[in-house]
Order: sequence, then structure tokens, then C-alpha cells
Amino acid sequence: MNSKNKFYFAISGVIVVVVFWIWWASSNPADEQALVTFLSVEELIDEDHFDRVRLGGLVAEGSIHLDNNNYLSCQFELKEGDYILPVHYTGARPDLFKDGAEVIIEGMYVNGLFEADILQTKCASRYEGDLRDENSYNLDEVSI
Amino acid sequence: MTPVIGGLAINLALGLAFVSIILHFFYLRNGDGRLFLSGQRAALAVSLLSILATLILAQLLITSNFDVDYVAHYTSFETPFIYKITALWAGQSGSLLFWLFTLSVYAVITILQNQRSQHKIMPWVMIVMTTVQLFFLILINYVSNPFIPTEADFVVENGLGLNPLLQNITMAFHPPMLYLGYVGFTIPFSFSIAAMAERDMNALWMRTVRQWLLFVWLMLSIGIILGGWWAYQELGWGGYWAWDPVENASFMPWLTGTALLHSIIIQEKKDMLKVWNMALIIITFTLCIFGTFLTRSGVMSSVHSFTASSLGPIFLGFVFLILVVSFLLLFNRKSFLQSEKRIESFTSRESGFLFNNVVFIVMCFAVFWGTIFPVISEAVRGTKITVGAPFFNQVNIPIGLILLLLTGVGPLLVWRRTSNQSFIRNFTTPIVMGLATALVFYILNIRGYVLVSFSLSAFVLTTIGFEFFRGIRSRMTSQKENPIIAFWRLIRKNRSRYGGYIVHVGIVLMFVGFTGHSFDSEKEFGLKKGDSEHLSGYSFTLYNVREEERPNHYAYIADMIVADASGKSIVKLHPEKRIYFHHNPNPERRQPHSELDIYSTIKQDIYSIFNSVDLENEVAYLKIMINPLVNWVWYGGYLFVLGTLVALWPPKKEIS
Repeated sequence: MNSKNKFYFAISGVIVVVVFWIWWASSNPADEQALVTFLSVEELIDEDHFDRVRLGGLVAEGSIHLDNNNYLSCQFELKEGDYILPVHYTGARPDLFKDGAEVIIEGMYVNGLFEADILQTKCASRYEGDLRDENSYNLDEVSI
Repeated sequence: MTPVIGGLAINLALGLAFVSIILHFFYLRNGDGRLFLSGQRAALAVSLLSILATLILAQLLITSNFDVDYVAHYTSFETPFIYKITALWAGQSGSLLFWLFTLSVYAVITILQNQRSQHKIMPWVMIVMTTVQLFFLILINYVSNPFIPTEADFVVENGLGLNPLLQNITMAFHPPMLYLGYVGFTIPFSFSIAAMAERDMNALWMRTVRQWLLFVWLMLSIGIILGGWWAYQELGWGGYWAWDPVENASFMPWLTGTALLHSIIIQEKKDMLKVWNMALIIITFTLCIFGTFLTRSGVMSSVHSFTASSLGPIFLGFVFLILVVSFLLLFNRKSFLQSEKRIESFTSRESGFLFNNVVFIVMCFAVFWGTIFPVISEAVRGTKITVGAPFFNQVNIPIGLILLLLTGVGPLLVWRRTSNQSFIRNFTTPIVMGLATALVFYILNIRGYVLVSFSLSAFVLTTIGFEFFRGIRSRMTSQKENPIIAFWRLIRKNRSRYGGYIVHVGIVLMFVGFTGHSFDSEKEFGLKKGDSEHLSGYSFTLYNVREEERPNHYAYIADMIVADASGKSIVKLHPEKRIYFHHNPNPERRQPHSELDIYSTIKQDIYSIFNSVDLENEVAYLKIMINPLVNWVWYGGYLFVLGTLVALWPPKKEIS
């Protein structure tokens, strides 16, 4: 084997090994949080899912209940389309978590209650919001 | 009035960009110098108009001209001055304009620097640069225009204000640095396309491209490090890197760019690997555009998607165009680029560089795969999968450790072939040091990647130490210098080599910091005044919760005493829960924000977050994290920057 081929051989070897490694890691995740399926609330309720899943939706208005003995524990309802799912979450809540907030949760669905251990909020609508809402008034109301 | 001028400026720039490209093409066909001159002037005008438009937007932001939609969306009267300026890149259209601004500044510098010295390839350089400008001008003019007026049927009294998360001084530097890096790769890319088109790649070209690469790579690196620092200080999850799609977007061109910085040395010294280097430049630039796309399109949900939009297809189209045109050209010029020389041996420095390159590329692919896997999975199997940090860590830690190993091995290899003798001479002590470190950690009952990482770090530091030692010793004997002068002159005589070693030391320190992550511990709890909690041998006592009103927010402050195992108090921590826009009559619009407090030492950080307060029962909910060795990451970062500056510093002209 001449030196050129030897190098091609070695480099191909490295690439094959690593591609295999990435493929292996994709199918044997290190832990349950490595690869998580993203479902809609509808799919979760209709089909049986016993593994860890991730959901997105809105916090139903007025559904947040903090545990009086432990503020780190809370219950709320996740709303996506026409479907509503009761959720229990323990841990620090993000600053933007409130009624109507768009959230992503991750956890397990057990006996009609979704036990979440990850709760993330999307950025406040304020910064992409409609200027009309707060700091403006209609021209009609202005007497010129 | 001024918004109109801004709009006109970007309009005019768009037209002139077309004109400039066409003039350059005509010049290339018939060689009429007047066409070249006018084309170049048109290109200069495009840049100057783009710069003007950016300055106008900045002026509108500073003067709070809420007639402009962008200004009303991202600032308010209360926004502090500095953040009115940073609002320039807070939103989509503004950041696209800022991209263009940065490129325009680079373009002006490139034109002024190279118009004479690189006369032959300049027309092509201009064509490529102006085409990239044209792309962004189209976006700014037709898709996302920052000068669009606020809807006409009402008057905006005050703007919405800037997101408190972005009101951190790091945000004044992190995005511009990243942009300087991202955008900067346009210049070496333009020079490469030009060199291939003209079949002209001389020594001057080499020097220009290498200096540019090093500079933009430094900017990108600083941008990435600052981003991590911001996340650590502001976001409150106790980490600096989350493998978020947008972080990955900046990391991928960094990886290929780093590979390129290494392999271009072989091209410079040995005139080899030219095809490979061209391909790397093309890929790096494409990844920069792809990164901008990931950040701006909202395809991936992430902390960075402060915007979502319809830019996707246009960006992907542009990425596709760059790839097709560049690689067709590369394929066509293959014979021009191919070298006669071959790598002779596995134990040569050339081969060391080559393997380093392969590993960098492979790592980039792993990151790319993880980033786009959700999209692929949804398209192919119909299920959405999210890829979390554990996946990226699992895949990349071994690859990263191989890179760390190569950092130590590469510099000790000799060009062409390393003899067995020098192999033994160079590697014995470092290997002994590495094994000794491994033994120590083994006895301390630390195993796995942590052990490997610390041992490799010791190995690499020893090899670099040896390089310095040998260099200094030989100067001391040959030049009769004292050690300090010898050290100083050694670096000065060979800046790129020893600058590179300093960067490597920085990288090793960062690896030590990354490794510290595996010892992290955390705890969440509620405390009443006077109560304590314990974590990792420390006690945390809440002694007060204060309330304070400040100009733009209302703050609850938890006062805590941290004491060590012997009960001696170490530090007081004061994490805050802030409510921004607290005067707003609509409670929905008030925004809570946690301001952390961190006690940072070389050994570890004690990181405290004030989650929430139960005023009725007087309980404060806190989260404490103990993050060992985090500071090493930042110290490594400083060394990293220092080393690159050493390599970049222009050599003093010899006076004969």
C-alpha cells in the first residue's frame, strides 16, 4: 500500500468509527433526557404513552394552584387546542410562568396526571406584542 | 424625516449593488479599467449607504422616535441609553441590518487595503462581497424592513421597552462579537472564490487570508465565550452551555474555522491540502449563513428565538446557492489546486494536523446531526424528537477528549517524519505526568471521563511546558540571555507558534472547567427567616428578606449567610426577585426576573437564585448550586484571547 492510500484508509477508518459512534448514540441515548418525543396533548391522551414525553401548550386561565405548604410544588392545566391536561410540577418556576403563558413541559403521564420535571416558558409576548395594547391611544380620541 | 432617509439609503444601496456586480462582470469580459473603477466606487457606495442606514436607525433609537415600528417595539423612554443602542440588534430587522453594517465596514477596509496590492483578483472579491451584501439588502428592503413606520391610525406614547433578559452589559458585546466573527468569514471566502476564479494564489493572498481568518476566528471565539458567560450570569440555570440550536449554530463554524486555521499552516509551509482548505472555507462560510438562518428563522425553538418569521426559505435558498456555485468552481479548479507533494508518514506533523482536521470536522458533523435531527425525524418518521444536552455530551465528550490528546501530540511531531529517538525524548515525561495524574485521581476514587480528562490535561500542559522550556534553554545558551528575556524573545520571534501554544493552554484550562461540571450539586428549598439548609458541607441561613423600589423595577432581596462545615461564615449572598414594569396597571404586563448572586472562587462557584416569595407565610424559595471549577473556563478564555492576540500581532518591521 502506498502512503496516499494508507492515509485514505486511516481517515476513512476514523470517519467510519465516528459515524458508527453517532449512530449508536442516537439509538442508545445516555439517559432518558437525551432524546425525547414531542407530542400533542391529543396524541398523549388518545394513545398510551408510558415513556418520557415533551408537550407544548398554554397555561389554562386561572388553573395555577400553588401548594400552600410548598411553593415549589404547583398544579395547573395545560391547554392545547380543545384538549386540556392536568399537570403537576415541582421545582423552580420560570419567571414568565403565569396564566396564558406558552409553556413546554417534559415528564411522564401517570393515571391521568402529567408529572412534569421540566417546565420552560416561551419568551414574553410583551416584546413581540401589539403596540396598541398599552402605551397608545386611538387617533380618533385625540382632539386636534 | 430621517426614517425616510434610512429607507432610501437601503433602497439605493440595493440598486447600486446590482450595478456594481454587473460593472465588474463587464470589466472581466473586456478589461476596460473605467468599468472596474466605477464598479468599485459603486461597491464602496453600497457599503457607505448601508453604514449610513445603520447610523440612522441608531439615531432613531437614541432619540426614541416611536413613529418607527422597530423603535417602538424594542425601546421605551425608560430604556437606559446603552440599551437603546444595543436594541439595534435586539430584533430581527435590526440584526439583519447590523449584519449588513458589519459586512460593509469589513468591505470598506478590504477595498482600501487591497485595491492595489491584489489588483488581479479584486474584481472577483468585490463580486462575491457585494453579492452577499445584495442578499441582505433584499431581505432588509423586502422581507424585514427596520424603517417601517408604526401603523398610522394611532399614536404611540411610549415604546414596549427592551426585554430585561437582554438588559445586561454582556449583551452589548456578545452579539456584535459574534457578528464580527460570522460576517467576517465572508472576506476569506471572497478571497478564496476570487483566487479559484482567477487561478491565482500567491504568497500575499496566503498572508491576507490567514490574518483575516485569525481575526474573525478570534471575534467568533470571544462572542461564543461571552454568550456562555451571559447565560451563566443571567439565565439562572447554573450553566454556560446548553447545546441550544443557536449555540450550536455558532459552534459549528467555529469548529470548521479552527480546523482551517490548523490546516492552512500546512498550505503555507508545504503547499499542500489546497483543495481541502478551499472546501473548509466554503463550508465555514456556509455554516455562518446557516447559523444566521437558525438564529433568525425561528425554525428551532430556543432561548434565542426572540423572533419568528418567514425568512427560512430565502435563507435556505441562499445557502444552497453558495454551496452549489462554490463547489462547482472548486471541482472545476481541482487541477489548479492539486499539489505534487504527499504526506510521508503517520508520525509527521502534517499527519497530526490532518487528523486534527478530521476530528474537528467529525465533531462539527455530530453537532450538526444533533441540531437538525428533530427536523429530519419529523420529516422522515413523522414524530417530533427533541435532542437534549445529554445527547450532545454523550457524543461529543469522547471526540473532545481525542482533540485534547491531539493538542498535546501534534506540536511535538516533526515535519515529514518523527524519528523514534525524538519520539521517546519528547513524549516520555509528558506521558509519565499524564499517568501520574491518572494514578492520583484513581486513588481519590475518581474514574471515567473525569480521570481521562484531567490526565490528558496534565499530559498536554507538560508537552507545552517542555516546548517553552526547550526554546528558552536554547536561547539562553546560544544568545546568552537570561530566562525572562529569552522567554520574551522566543515568543516575539515566532508569534504564531507560541501564540498557538498559549491558546492551547487556555483550551486545557477550559477542559478542566468543563470537567468540573460533573461534580455539580444543587438543591431547592423554602426558608423562613432564621432557618438554615445544608448542601455539600455548606450551610445557608436566611436572615432577612428586604423590599426595595428602584427606577425601573421593584426588588425583593433575600439576604443569606453562607457558612462552611466548621460554622465559619464565608460570604453573604443577596439574590433578588425583581418585578420589571411594576408601575404598569395591567398585572399581566409586569415581568418578574430573577437576579442571581454568585460567590466565585478558583475552586468553585456558589450560585444562588431567589425563586419566589410567599409573603403570607414569610417563606423565601431559593435554589443553590455548587459548581466546581467554573472559573477555570473564564480564565482559559482570557488566555485563549491573549494567545490569539500574540499570534495576530503584526511583526515589527526589521530595520536594516
